[in-house]
Amino acid sequence: MKPPKNNKYQLFLYLISALTGAHGAGNSSNINREQPILLHDRPHDQYMPAANIIRIMRRGLPPHAKIADEAKDTVQHCVSEFINFITSEANDRCHREQRKTVTAEDLLWAMARLGFEDYIEPLTLFLNRYREMESGRTSMHGEPFVKCTVDLGLPPGPTNYGLQAWPAGQAHGVFDAHGAMMMNGMNNYYRDNHGGGSSSSGQAAALPGFDPYVQFKRSL
Amino acid sequence: MRQAGVYSGIASGGISGRTGPHSLPLARIKKIMKNSNDDVKMISGEAPIVFSKACELFIEQLTKRSWAVALQAKRRTLRKDDIASAIIATDLFDFLLNLVSDSTGHEDDCHEAISK
Repeated sequence: MKPPKNNKYQLFLYLISALTGAHGAGNSSNINREQPILLHDRPHDQYMPAANIIRIMRRGLPPHAKIADEAKDTVQHCVSEFINFITSEANDRCHREQRKTVTAEDLLWAMARLGFEDYIEPLTLFLNRYREMESGRTSMHGEPFVKCTVDLGLPPGPTNYGLQAWPAGQAHGVFDAHGAMMMNGMNNYYRDNHGGGSSSSGQAAALPGFDPYVQFKRSL
Repeated sequence: MRQAGVYSGIASGGISGRTGPHSLPLARIKKIMKNSNDDVKMISGEAPIVFSKACELFIEQLTKRSWAVALQAKRRTLRKDDIASAIIATDLFDFLLNLVSDSTGHEDDCHEAISK
């Protein structure tokens, strides 16, 4: 395709198209475009909410840093692309192995395969904590005031990655609340048994400001 | 009826944006996963959980690298072209190249070269 000779603007657009490998430098969508748009624009429910993304971005930035709106949009697009990228690889593996369900292990495998090995360890830890939380929760039937046996000797959920330890001491990340809720449930059991002892347990006291009854106050 | 626990946010996360204990709404993650491929049929309950954390790690990594570019340019505002530069400079982010190939960097350079 010959570059247009008429004006500098069209020449510039032609160069951009050539650089990006896009075909049809002469098509109207390129010429009429006034500002750069992100390719693959999706309906808004195909993105993670901006507020959540911005909150996570701010964690890694100094307090005085500002984030341009376009930058927020770009990261939003990138996150969706990341999900698609990993999911496709995981899904292909499922097909090859003739399985219908994409599992957590498939995702971890796909991430390792696509270069995200650094994510595997924190994700495995996260997943193990989640599984232990879930198995502890279901065995309590969600009712800490009901007398029931809580067996902390539960076998951990199946995992191919081998990290099984319940985190000792202060767990970081989103599971502080869960760990304490489960432990607090146990303390309620003992409290019932002894006819209402002290109001706060050692574990609850270790997490100041934590409300052990939040799961009952939260409405759907 | 089962007591409403913290994971009740899973079902409503996509509607109200409420995320429960996770930073990112699980229902939305599931939606995006289903959109990856027409033949993504079933997704285990844990898969969006893994992604909620993985996306956090991803956002943190991308932001950190982009901020390094902004710092080098002595700016305090993180811009789209910082993100583009970080993507171009990082092999791991090659899958994102087509998202930023039309963005400001190249065009500004070309525009200046042409108008001189």
